[in-house]
Amino acid sequence: MSKFKKVTALLMATTMLFGLTACSGNNNGNNGSASTNTGTKTNDGGTTTGTDEGNGVDTSKFVKISYVVLGDKPKNGQFEKVMEKVNVIMKEKINAELEWKWVEWADWQTKYNLLLASGEAIDLITIGTDWLDTWGNAQRGAFMNLDELLPKYAPETFKSIPEEDWAQSKYNGKIVLIPENDYTQWVNHGFFYRGDWAKEAGLTEPIKNWEEIGQYLQYVKDNKEGVIPWDAASGAQTWGGYVQSNTDNLELPISTGFLPVFAAKSFDEKYTVTSPIFEDTFLNYATMMKEWGDKGFWREDALNNKNDNRVALKAGLSGMDQHHTQTFSGLRVEMDREQPGSDLQMFPFARTRGTNLMELSITHGGTSVGAHSKNPERALMAYDLIRNNEEVYHLLNYGLEGVQYEIKDGKRARPAGYNEADDNFYSDFWGGRVDKFEIPSETTWDQIEETYYAEYDKIKKPYVYGQFVFDKTPVEAELTAVSQVAGELGPAITFGKAGDPAKAVEEFRNKLKTAGYDKVLAELQKQMDAYKAQMGE
Amino acid sequence: MATAVKSQTAAISTAKPTRNKLKRFWNNKTLLIMCIPAILFFIVFAYLPMPGLYLAFINYNYSDGIFKSDFVGLKNFQFLVQTGDLWRLTFNTVAYNIAFILLGNILQIVVAIFLNELRVKWFKKVSQTLMFLPHFISAVLIGLIAYNVLSYDYGLLNSILESLGYDPLKTYSNPVLWPFIIILTFLWQSTGYGSIVYFAAIMGLDNEIVEAAEIDGANAFQRIRYIILPWLKPTFIILLLFSLGGILKGNFGLFFNLVGANNTALYASTDIIETYVFRSLMTNFNFSMGSAVSLYQSVFGFIVVITANWLVRKTSPENSLF
Repeated sequence: MSKFKKVTALLMATTMLFGLTACSGNNNGNNGSASTNTGTKTNDGGTTTGTDEGNGVDTSKFVKISYVVLGDKPKNGQFEKVMEKVNVIMKEKINAELEWKWVEWADWQTKYNLLLASGEAIDLITIGTDWLDTWGNAQRGAFMNLDELLPKYAPETFKSIPEEDWAQSKYNGKIVLIPENDYTQWVNHGFFYRGDWAKEAGLTEPIKNWEEIGQYLQYVKDNKEGVIPWDAASGAQTWGGYVQSNTDNLELPISTGFLPVFAAKSFDEKYTVTSPIFEDTFLNYATMMKEWGDKGFWREDALNNKNDNRVALKAGLSGMDQHHTQTFSGLRVEMDREQPGSDLQMFPFARTRGTNLMELSITHGGTSVGAHSKNPERALMAYDLIRNNEEVYHLLNYGLEGVQYEIKDGKRARPAGYNEADDNFYSDFWGGRVDKFEIPSETTWDQIEETYYAEYDKIKKPYVYGQFVFDKTPVEAELTAVSQVAGELGPAITFGKAGDPAKAVEEFRNKLKTAGYDKVLAELQKQMDAYKAQMGE
Repeated sequence: MATAVKSQTAAISTAKPTRNKLKRFWNNKTLLIMCIPAILFFIVFAYLPMPGLYLAFINYNYSDGIFKSDFVGLKNFQFLVQTGDLWRLTFNTVAYNIAFILLGNILQIVVAIFLNELRVKWFKKVSQTLMFLPHFISAVLIGLIAYNVLSYDYGLLNSILESLGYDPLKTYSNPVLWPFIIILTFLWQSTGYGSIVYFAAIMGLDNEIVEAAEIDGANAFQRIRYIILPWLKPTFIILLLFSLGGILKGNFGLFFNLVGANNTALYASTDIIETYVFRSLMTNFNFSMGSAVSLYQSVFGFIVVITANWLVRKTSPENSLF
């Protein structure tokens, strides 16, 4: 018995000893970072102490730079391996270590905004004016002004972005973000449908309007046992697409929650604000969705459905999906593999009228520096490397050559023995990709350029709201109330569950009015007029 | 001599209270030490964050911080009134909570009395445990279970209804059903846990009184009516007063997970302040407005507690909280 006691005592002593060393180890680490902080704080003050050599940047202190991206943290260890390589270069060139911080997809909006609001020292962060509320966050003081820092610490990036693109990156006349201005992608939305089933349904030409989508869904409903025509999940939103298909109205960079309430009249009258909600378009939409819902094109409980429609599509259990062209180009390849002969097609919403397809805003992706960053200088230097050093760029975007990819006929191909689960790599860097370093991949559909891109190039128009930043302050309460109404009545109308469409539309409009719709509209128009004057028209 | 005595008594009467108080502290030191965690808890989570309520009156700017942002007065409260939803939401929240508090407490008392009357020991233990279990299931899971039971196309309920030859029920688009579903779920989840409190109170009842009543010929119902129920009254009142303070605070987890984030077809009967605020703030991410709502809830709750306590003091002073 006493022997047992002795052994346990010994065991406990050793664990405590280990604990102690572990603690002191941590302490050392903390001390290290604390001293770097104080070291760079002097830099913050504006007076650069220390060695003034070459470009006059002091990199004598080793620092850690964080980069916030959106996505689920990779778990197979490949990311860490790649990062190790990247950090060898970072250490050598700028005496810094780059660290990725992931904002995971579950509740990403909340987490992303909370991260900015918390006052945490963020160095670099992914932004997007049209989907990450970047102007709103800039208004709340989340980002650092970069005008003075950029030419000195990110000279290559600064030079490579033309003046007119910097103009779209300013809030209140100050640069607050670095745009992804040199990267081609199309994120216009549309329905993805199966070409093989459409042919069976007699739709031999590519689908070009919502009525034909209706025919397609009806065919699937009647003829494909066990398949839900469109297994839409709660939160799916099609109103914006319907507007794009059936009117000339242009989308504005103003969020009203669940569905867009405000739009610009047309490309010719791009400074006139209107609302398709108050036109017949909305009634037609509500009526059509009611009809689709009653016909059973989606589940009766679609509003509570949380299934992943894309997984269902790939498993052959759903006949349709809805997302943007970029997604389609990858999904097409996957579908060819999972459902051979499915001939996945996309009906881009802009196809119907061909009048309202704008190029993507260059601030759909980009990078900002957090307002509380302790090392903004080094952060920008790291960014300059990510964006302009081909080796770092390829590492961060594609992984290791020979493990994640190999070059075959000028394309990135999977190396022999590549295993999706073990070798898959992604970094979700959407903050400044550049076309000149991109290598086409075999995982994107090889016909995307000659088909969809070519179609878009014929009808595309330049993005015209790049410098328009809506100042919400005068109508904050009204805008919140309007968004509230949109979120309250929008989903039920979208899935045809709001009862009589005419009544539902009437109720929606009335509620918008009481919420202060007119005041927001007036304010929006006022600011749009000012923008028009600013643009010299 | 007389003056000496007088001054002496005066000295005692002035010195006595402080010495007595100190002594009382000293005598109760164990109890006080046991209270420290709770006191600390309230200081950290209830009193220290109070200055943060100032957020409700400013236009919060991240780089300026709380006390340097612009003061905007009552503007943040405006959006609550703007849509005219405030009264509907307040009504829904209060009505649900009244149902929860009253039905919940009554059911808990009934269950506690049943448990007390049960004489078979193993059955008592088993039923206690079984009723306690739902308390540990998270609202997310409850939402999922409910969906699998109530779903139109694949739900358990509709499979049963169809096999019996009835029409399937469109639960997720029928707002009338939801008050019942929500209240039943709440009772299912909370009864076991709450009944423990009453059960413990019954255990504290001196057995001799019950036995004396039995000897005097009181039957089970009379025992319950004239001994146990009056005995439980103070517990009931205290629990009632506690829960009244939160009458404007909805059970967010339960509502959000049962109804779903986007099922707007059910809002008429299921939307409470919490879910409303969650929706409006998640799209606009405005902390000041969030704080405004929480201030509204707290002030309302404060008034309700004070009023209720005042009423209790009027009718049965010995049971009031303060």
